[in-house]
Amino acid sequence: MDPTLESPEFIERLRQGDRAAFGQLVKGHHNMLLATARTMLSAADAEEAVQDGWIAAHRAIGKFEGRSLLRTWLTRIVINQARMMLRKGGREIQFDPTDEQDALAHRFRDGGHWDHPPQHWDLSGPDALLTRDELRHCMEKTLGKMPDNQRLVLELRDLQGMDFDDICNMLDVSASNVRVLLHRARARLFELVDHFQETGEC
Amino acid sequence: MLKCKHVVVKADALVDGAPLTRRERFALRLHLLMCHHCRRYVRQLRALLNTLPRNPDSLDDARTREILDKLNAPQER
Repeated sequence: MDPTLESPEFIERLRQGDRAAFGQLVKGHHNMLLATARTMLSAADAEEAVQDGWIAAHRAIGKFEGRSLLRTWLTRIVINQARMMLRKGGREIQFDPTDEQDALAHRFRDGGHWDHPPQHWDLSGPDALLTRDELRHCMEKTLGKMPDNQRLVLELRDLQGMDFDDICNMLDVSASNVRVLLHRARARLFELVDHFQETGEC
Repeated sequence: MLKCKHVVVKADALVDGAPLTRRERFALRLHLLMCHHCRRYVRQLRALLNTLPRNPDSLDDARTREILDKLNAPQER
């Protein structure tokens, strides 16, 4: 992301109501915010949540105090909009992990050692595993099927690279719960790639 | 002695650079030194996370303008 979008000068322009600066903000952040909303909502609802988020941000920007990154502040606004829309539809996103096992659990023996250890992945070279189109396609499918809570945490941490503690704060969820959700999301992806390495299929 | 099953859970914190206690870090290092399966797991997890798609493109000018136009709409009404 463009670092000037977090600079004090830029933030001051926003606080003064500079329209061009707000345009830059929208341009730079919109698609990322949409990706966040999309983990919880349909495509159409996500668009609406982010649009409403912009309206809320525009109203509140004069009072932005720079205690967090602007990006974190915007993401929190959009997540709150999305949660509000879910509630209106009688739904809610739960962050208490269920007692399901993670996707790698079946690979260990009772004693806790590997029974079915990871395959070797070819990580470099022109045909490196992780760059193969078929695998990218499988990953997209897995991301699409992932429970919303895991998908959201993965999105914020591993796709957008947000700070772990910021994520816990903006979701108002304990660090240990976020850890569990993130671990489950990653385990699903690891299992998928390893399975692909072994079988050539999703 | 740390078990592989637990290493896989702790690996998340390791990969994230999250704070581990000195004792946890030591136990993890020791395990990884001896267990090539877990070493492979950590190395491949890192590579996997690094290839996830990041930072979508910025929004095109036309859509940006549409969003800006809607910002002022409620006040004009």
